[in-house]
Amino acid sequence: MQKILRKRVLRDLKENILRYLALGFLIILGMYLVVSIIAAADTIIQGTEELAEEHNREDGEFSVFVPLSKQEEAALREEGIQLEKMFYLDMSLEDGSTLRVYKNRESINLLALDEGRQAENANEAVIEKRYAQEHGLAVGDRIDIVGEEYKITGIGTTPDYEAAFQEFSDSSIDSERFGTAFVTEEAYTALLESGKSDKSEAYYYAYCLNGKMSNEDLRNKIKEFEFSAEEVEDSYFQEYWSETGGQKEKLKNSVNEIADGSEKLSDDLTKLSESNETLHEGMGSIYDMYLTDYAAGVESAAEGAQKLAEGTSELEDKTNELLDKYFDTDISNLTMFLTAEDNPRIGAAGNDQVINKLGGLIAGVIVMILFTYVISVFVIHGIERECSVIGALYALGVKRKDLLRHYLMLPVSVTFIAGILGFLLGISNIGVPVQMQDCFNYFSIPELNIIYAPYLVVYSIIMPPVVAAVVNYFVIRKHLSRTALSLIRNEQKDSKRKNLNLGNMGFVRRFQMRQMLREARTGFTVIFGMFISMLIMMLGLNCYALVTHISEETKADTRFSYMYTYKYPQKTPPEDGEIAFAKTLKREAYGYNLEVTLLGIKEDNPYFDAEVEAGENKVVLSSAAAQKYNLKAGDEIVLKDEEEGRDYAFEVTEVIQYSSGFYAFMNIDSMRALFGETEDYYNVVFSDCELDIDAGRLYATTTRDNVYHSSDVFIDLLQPMIYTMCIVSVLIFCVVMYLMIKVMIDRSAFGISLVKIFGYRTKEIRRLYLNGNFYTVAVGAAICIPLSKWVMDRMYPYLISNVTCGMNLSFEWRMYVGIWVAVIVLYLFINQLLVLRLKKIVPAEVLKNRE
Amino acid sequence: MYLEVKNMKKSYGKDGSYIQVLKGITTGVEQGEMCVIQGTSGSGKSTFLNCIGGLDTLDSGSISVDGKEIVGLKQEALSDYRRENLGFIFQFYNLVPNLTVRENIQVCEYLAKNPLNMEELLEILGLTEHQNKFPSQLSGGQQQRCAIARALIKNPKLLLLDEPTGALDSKTSRDILILLEKINQKYGTTMLLVTHNNSIKNMVHKVIIIKDGQIHKEYKNETRVPAAELEDL
Repeated sequence: MQKILRKRVLRDLKENILRYLALGFLIILGMYLVVSIIAAADTIIQGTEELAEEHNREDGEFSVFVPLSKQEEAALREEGIQLEKMFYLDMSLEDGSTLRVYKNRESINLLALDEGRQAENANEAVIEKRYAQEHGLAVGDRIDIVGEEYKITGIGTTPDYEAAFQEFSDSSIDSERFGTAFVTEEAYTALLESGKSDKSEAYYYAYCLNGKMSNEDLRNKIKEFEFSAEEVEDSYFQEYWSETGGQKEKLKNSVNEIADGSEKLSDDLTKLSESNETLHEGMGSIYDMYLTDYAAGVESAAEGAQKLAEGTSELEDKTNELLDKYFDTDISNLTMFLTAEDNPRIGAAGNDQVINKLGGLIAGVIVMILFTYVISVFVIHGIERECSVIGALYALGVKRKDLLRHYLMLPVSVTFIAGILGFLLGISNIGVPVQMQDCFNYFSIPELNIIYAPYLVVYSIIMPPVVAAVVNYFVIRKHLSRTALSLIRNEQKDSKRKNLNLGNMGFVRRFQMRQMLREARTGFTVIFGMFISMLIMMLGLNCYALVTHISEETKADTRFSYMYTYKYPQKTPPEDGEIAFAKTLKREAYGYNLEVTLLGIKEDNPYFDAEVEAGENKVVLSSAAAQKYNLKAGDEIVLKDEEEGRDYAFEVTEVIQYSSGFYAFMNIDSMRALFGETEDYYNVVFSDCELDIDAGRLYATTTRDNVYHSSDVFIDLLQPMIYTMCIVSVLIFCVVMYLMIKVMIDRSAFGISLVKIFGYRTKEIRRLYLNGNFYTVAVGAAICIPLSKWVMDRMYPYLISNVTCGMNLSFEWRMYVGIWVAVIVLYLFINQLLVLRLKKIVPAEVLKNRE
Repeated sequence: MYLEVKNMKKSYGKDGSYIQVLKGITTGVEQGEMCVIQGTSGSGKSTFLNCIGGLDTLDSGSISVDGKEIVGLKQEALSDYRRENLGFIFQFYNLVPNLTVRENIQVCEYLAKNPLNMEELLEILGLTEHQNKFPSQLSGGQQQRCAIARALIKNPKLLLLDEPTGALDSKTSRDILILLEKINQKYGTTMLLVTHNNSIKNMVHKVIIIKDGQIHKEYKNETRVPAAELEDL
């Protein structure tokens, strides 16, 4: 029997080809997007991990004031730790970009060359892939690095710069402004000696633990290494050292000198006391009186000196104790210790894709449920239309399971075929490679071999028909469960909804209401479809709101023109600069350990609106941090100092508008006291004009231009995604609405033809049968728009959990009105199209229906 | 007795809307008989037919078909009963709209263990030339013939017909009745035929007249008139 009924399925498909093509197209589009997004995510997640292993990605890195001695390096290696110097020089190029130059890597974070070879001669360099793309550089080209020309021998990537952030605290990658380069040792030395680097050489080391010890053990071990300040050749360091850590040494040495002097004085006076007795015996009585007094004085002086020596020795011990206690951080050679897990440059591409993958998987299932539900509405319409036929077949002995199988065949077949096509498109050249392009345009990762996980076949080819079968099974089964007689008679269920008392409502309103109640299921599907499409649109629009807010607010909030971050602060701050004390701490959000800058500022700081109260536990939070961590005034924020392994709890006294990063503002004096710094300590200077500061003193210089440019990076990067989401959303909305309203018309064909016989005109019929939908759509949109926005706002923090930025997703009320108006315009357009269908229904439909 | 009905009672609704449609009908039909059930609208004749067909349930009483009690059977068993024993024909033909004549018949052919010969049936019913047409391409009479063919292909022992000529003109009605007569003679099919038409009672073996849910009159037709000779159809 199924064989015969299958012919019917084909004819039904042919008869309603446009309907199924539209639905099939959306399923294909949905599966194409989902498969390509997930396969791209799998490729990037697994591919970058495999390449990281192949290129021996570090387990972590640390920086020091003074390079480790050979003995210290050897001591670590003896423990089984693999260590490699990652010293670098930041070079400013003529186009305003910064190129971070490294020596060729030997064992850790090895270069993955997309093309070419490593630099072998002094005038050769390998350029990081994204920087090369942004600057149109290719193998064989030449690049000028501070007056020296280098031939580009290779383009590649390294696993420690997957996200090529110039600073760890950067929130966006800007490869137009920053990149890395790799040269020979000889070339590196020449650049170092040229003195043209932006700042002093950075002493970074990368390590691999090889399972020999934990990160914590290694950090403690490095902290134990004695610091030999004399070994540092950097004059700025020496100046800094003499004013900070060196003072301790001076104090220590002075106390030692006092102690030595006291001891010497004690010894000499003791000797004088012993000689005094001999002198006493040899002298005459004449001097008795005088000398007795003298001897007593000498003895007393010797005893005093002894006490002085003891006291001084105690002073020495206590002074050393105090110095060790309070100068501990200052004298540690370790300036930064960062595990790969906490390094925002490492594994960033993969982390980014984890969210895409999860989002894609969930979105795919939701879209499938929507479409299969839409199909089920068609099937139910078919069943209702054919209920007497079904009843007759039941009467002839056909069983429900036979018909259930038959009615499931079409949705299952359509979704199965659409799933296959979507899968094929997803894995084609216009699928995964296109999806990966966004990632390749942002992260610095090598070419990857596309990975097609077997579960994708199950997801895209098996899941759609299974979802279709399950959804339709439950929906259709209910309709086929009626008795044969009830089906033959086409008995309508008596429901309170249909029999609703409409009071004294006028005829047209009453008719429209009855039609809406009769078509409640279809109306629900329109609203369900609208909600899903709104969710997709909100995904794009939230993205738009986020990036535009970041851009606009960052520009408005950045009042400084220059921000200088010191490595070695000057004793006297620059005249036109506003000093601040910055310390990077961390706080976890949605599974990611993100940096929060604790910024000590003066109360009258002109660059920030924060009113910083004195107090070691009081901070004013930037809006970006408050949004990300969901904090408000009065809350407590705990920030972790990973260097020291210490947690600091602060009370949030105020939240101020500041979108340019995660900041906790604090009174600079309180902050100095909290971290044991001197009363005039600072390490950041803000200014509204360029200051004359030697580059060697600085870690980084951030200009307003840099900030502006970085804040715009996301807009360019995410624009295609925003457009895609909005287009997909509109397509889903239009198709679902068109199909559902068409079903409403088809279901009402008998009634429509009847009123045509009575003499109703198309305009009047439209008012009776179609215009009621306006209220469904208008009210549905008024509910779905804010609801989808609310849902997406709650989902969004998880979708961008690894991004260090604020979470201002707010829309202006005009935006909501605009979306609502757009929905209504689309509805009216579709309504207009459906009038054509209305015109096609002829009075003879009444007869056809009976037959 | 091939079909035996005892004290058949059936009611609908509750309280104020309670109606007892069948008030204890007892009757029977021999194998191979053609039996007409007549009555006014609302007399309970269609309910009587539906209960025999297992489409409706009884309040009380029993129905035995070919010695097998069908009252109390579960839905699945009732489906099997209909599949193995019954053919149903309705006033409105209820053909599957997007299957051809042949395919509509085939739907039921697959249900039967020993179906009749399709070509022979098409020939008898005059549908050979229309076998590849869809219902919408057929006249009312042709559609009803298709519905008859669909019911007969299973070679049922009992054929239940609810107003089979109700939607047809007199000429087509006659053709259909001739056909039914022919089938009864050729296959020995027992037929239970509900109709308003007074003439049809003249061609059948037995007549049951129901009035107010009870058998008003029941008699065997000693002088049957062939269908072709019926008047006032």
